[in-house]
Amino acid sequence: MGTPSILWSITKKCFTVGVITLTVSDLFASIVPVRGASMSPTFNPKTNSLFDSLSDDRVLVEKLCLRNYKFSHGDVIVFSSPNNHKEKHVKRIVGLPGDWVGTIYDVVHIPEGHCWVEGDNSASSLDSRSFGPVPLGLVKGRVTHVLWPPHRVGTVDRKTSQNRVSSSSSASKF
Amino acid sequence: MGTPRVLWSITKKCFTVGVITLTVSDLFASIVPVRGASMSPTFNPKTNSLLDSLSDDRVLVEKLCLRNYKFSHGDVIVFSSPNNHKEKHVKRIVGLPGDWVGTIYDVVHIPEGHCWVEGDNTASSLDSRSFGPVPLGLVKGRVTHVLWPPHRVGTVDRKTSQNRVSSSSSASKF
Repeated sequence: MGTPSILWSITKKCFTVGVITLTVSDLFASIVPVRGASMSPTFNPKTNSLFDSLSDDRVLVEKLCLRNYKFSHGDVIVFSSPNNHKEKHVKRIVGLPGDWVGTIYDVVHIPEGHCWVEGDNSASSLDSRSFGPVPLGLVKGRVTHVLWPPHRVGTVDRKTSQNRVSSSSSASKF
Repeated sequence: MGTPRVLWSITKKCFTVGVITLTVSDLFASIVPVRGASMSPTFNPKTNSLLDSLSDDRVLVEKLCLRNYKFSHGDVIVFSSPNNHKEKHVKRIVGLPGDWVGTIYDVVHIPEGHCWVEGDNTASSLDSRSFGPVPLGLVKGRVTHVLWPPHRVGTVDRKTSQNRVSSSSSASKF
């Protein structure tokens, strides 16, 4: 075995690892940083601790939910912004298709194929209250765990606002 | 070399081919059938010829356009339906962000991050005239060629309707 054969073998292995990593990241799960304080205190609570002020939270985003699109009230999802396809947002699902969601001035009906999202930090969140219901086709994944910083590692739980949302059915299947 | 080794080697090769095919299909191009007559006569013209009536057109959808999202008026795109994330539609881009598009009753402004799509077969097409502007994040690819049936193989050209659309700029970059 000469050197060219070794180099080719290494190249093939690197390429295969690269393609498999890409596929896993697209189809199964990936790790992304959360920017901004719109989901505080769930992500980026910005307390006075050293870790919190130094770096953004890293979360695990699972893509298996995109097989069936079975989301529940209170799920935290990653989606492409309706107004800017280059940006991705992380927000919590407050309303599912068919729901009626109460905002300050209005009660909005969520049409088929859409969801209503809001950030946990209501005062500082650009969400469905600004850009309206989000088409489910824009959803890119669901956040299941916080992976960084170490003292806040854990699962991301569902939080629902029962007093603001009127659901058409108790089961969230569609 | 025993049989288990041969089987393992074949399994590895099949797995690698499968992953690479999936990645190519997602990142570069794929071949899809076109259903329905909403893009007639560009696709599925349903003439009396044998091949036209037997099967749907197959078209080549390129995904490289999703790197930069530089679309032009007249491009034919594949996108997830805003009202039903499980469905994909094939329509032509009539309006880009910032344009004013004239419908029968109204003149619609296309907001940032959205496009206005219509089928070539105006009488029989469910498009932006029904479900409004489509967020660009829902676009899944651009149709470049017809691959089946053989007598209509060729490139898919841009067709613009200058008299109905007022563009904010001549360059379609965003």
